[in-house]
Amino acid sequence: MSTVQSIPGGAAPAATPGGGGGGGASYVEVAASPEFRELRARFRRFVFPMTVLFLAWYFTYVLLAAYAPGFMGIGIVGDINVGLVLGLGQFLSTFVITWLYVRWADREFDTSAAELRARIEGPAPAEAGGESR
Amino acid sequence: MTALAWPAAVAVALVCVATLAVGALGLRLSRTTSDFYVASRVVSPRWNASAIGGEYLSAASFLGVAGLVLAVGADMLWYPIGYTAGYVVLLVLVAAPLRRSGAFTLPDFAEIRMRSPVVRRVASVLVVGIGWLYLLPQFQGAGLALRSATGAPRWVGALIVAGVVVLNVLAGGMRSITLVQAFQYWLKLTAIALPVIFLVATWRADGAPAPPADHTTVSVNAVTVRLADTVRVRVEEPATIIVHGQVDGEPVGGPVQLEPGSAVLAAGSTVTLPEGTPVPRAEEIFGRDGPAPAGGAERGHELYRTYSLLLALLLGTMGLPHVIVRFYTNPDGRGARRTAAAVIGLLGAFYLFPPVYAALGRVYAPDLLLTGRTDTVVLTLPQRVLPGPLGEALSALVMGGAFAAFLSTSSGLTVSVAGVLSQDLLRRRARTGVAGFRAGTILAVAVPAAGTLLATSVGLADTVGLAFAVAASTFCPLLVLGIWWRRLTVTGALAGLAVGGVTAASAAMVTMLGRAPDGLAGALLAQPAAWTVPLSFAVMVVVSLRTPGSMPAGVGRVMTRLHVPEGIRQHHGRAAVPPGRAVGVPIDAASGGLVGAVDRSSPASNRSARAVTLSPGTDRSSPTAGPPGAGSLPPTA
Repeated sequence: MSTVQSIPGGAAPAATPGGGGGGGASYVEVAASPEFRELRARFRRFVFPMTVLFLAWYFTYVLLAAYAPGFMGIGIVGDINVGLVLGLGQFLSTFVITWLYVRWADREFDTSAAELRARIEGPAPAEAGGESR
Repeated sequence: MTALAWPAAVAVALVCVATLAVGALGLRLSRTTSDFYVASRVVSPRWNASAIGGEYLSAASFLGVAGLVLAVGADMLWYPIGYTAGYVVLLVLVAAPLRRSGAFTLPDFAEIRMRSPVVRRVASVLVVGIGWLYLLPQFQGAGLALRSATGAPRWVGALIVAGVVVLNVLAGGMRSITLVQAFQYWLKLTAIALPVIFLVATWRADGAPAPPADHTTVSVNAVTVRLADTVRVRVEEPATIIVHGQVDGEPVGGPVQLEPGSAVLAAGSTVTLPEGTPVPRAEEIFGRDGPAPAGGAERGHELYRTYSLLLALLLGTMGLPHVIVRFYTNPDGRGARRTAAAVIGLLGAFYLFPPVYAALGRVYAPDLLLTGRTDTVVLTLPQRVLPGPLGEALSALVMGGAFAAFLSTSSGLTVSVAGVLSQDLLRRRARTGVAGFRAGTILAVAVPAAGTLLATSVGLADTVGLAFAVAASTFCPLLVLGIWWRRLTVTGALAGLAVGGVTAASAAMVTMLGRAPDGLAGALLAQPAAWTVPLSFAVMVVVSLRTPGSMPAGVGRVMTRLHVPEGIRQHHGRAAVPPGRAVGVPIDAASGGLVGAVDRSSPASNRSARAVTLSPGTDRSSPTAGPPGAGSLPPTA
């Protein structure tokens, strides 16, 4: 278990530009850049409220099941009552949430992230330099 | 309950033999695959997702969900949702950054993010603990299933699954091909879905009797059952049942009027529920192993228990050792996202079926509520509803599916646990990678197998819930804060892991040994997540804020690496590992453990080199994860 030594400690990483090749900002600069902050903020603005929302929806269902059996038992058609519809609605909403998120991530997040990356790293031949000493 | 032993026994034998055969085949295939890493990264998200589904759908899913919905009613639909929605949380909060981190396993992530071998070691201990907790109900479930179908003692099923898993994992099989695990998903889906078609057809032919409502279950048809164990039943409404045996210690031989309250029906009694009788519900079963609460029985503080378990399921999924490794086989963060999304679709499709068994169980097998054996509804329903060869065949199919569930989940867990054991915890004793992995495998299976003899008082779903609770109290804060909060410090992470792990694991132990008190304290111990998860988060945050000095070096780099998607060009045509290192390793990229173990046995490599090999496509940032020497690995092979 002698890993501590094998990892460059202290400030060493900060001094080394990320990988060296390609030209462009170091990773530390990237992390501090307004674009990166904006990217993360954008992600948080979408994902955190959505997470809270769908967690609230799951927990509300449980709350209703526990405290409002009358409401859950209201018949809609035949043997189908509100509880069953909401229960199946949870399945459905799980799929919808997933679909919404993946669509958002593909269209908006990845696009702006790719732009950011391109700006930081410069054009493609980055790998040529290599970091192999 | 032992009507049709032979078809079920044959199905179990077939599944076991097929598993071993495929394992042996997988061993050959993986030896002839020159670079398994590259192969594994061309696995499409759809197949990868099937593989995750194959491993994830365990005994609790296959049997326990239907049992709980049968016992509690449609209100319990949140339960299968919770199993699925755990992946939604995983998807939106951790999937892509985790893939970008290059971590194979949870300890890998801990080390990459926190740069601390101590955090890594604590994470390793937790992986082993959670894996054992999760393996235990798999073995228990196998014993339960086999007993219900063939009457064999409970330890037989547990021993069969444990034995097959050990042989298989030692041979390097099963997990060696993603497609095999993927096949397991479709086998399980077929096994649970096909009988539903016949069951529903029969139900419609019977005039589609409505499943009785939740709290006043009434037997639709008269049923007669012989009690294998003594049960204490709760009587909600006055009911007249016909008993030949003992009620409340009195010998009875005919109709008995039960008044609201509780009654004890002795083992060996034959009970008939006439048509239209409100079914007395089992509360406690006095088996050979001592008293145990019946599945779904009211135990007080129900809302707390439900919330706590739901929280554990939602937040614990991301901390399950056998789940995380599969995300590494995705080409990039985007692929990881697609995989998680596909998993949600596949799991959702599967979980639609257990509630159907539960609803039909209310119609055709209300006696399971009386005997408390609701976990067996999936297994017993086909032969109840469909007499004759068709029912036998479908029962055998379901039994085979159940064993496939036990075997695939157990194998995935065993590989993960054995990998961590050999890699991080047994290293001094077992120097060579393969020997260490073998020792790890035996240990990974032996401990929970022995545990099945001790822990008997907790239902299937409950034990699985405890595993989720421990995962949610430890790895969830580590992953969420590690990915989203740059001020997390080593001391903070350690404190949070320790507090969350110790509290949740102690609660689990007390509950499983049957030492939990009644009332609120018992509820808090049986479903600890609601308090241990916030506690662990709070400890991590507060301690981190107070120890800014122990923030890992280069955190900015790691965070950038986690959050900036890979360049598109960067994952093309790159072999993560030089071919010579992967050849002959009888386990695939997703297994992590053995690969790591083998890496270490090679003198030319060290742990940090592995951290680099584990990050294809992100090697521009790999100086954060490895020493300068690590860069000497050829970036392309």
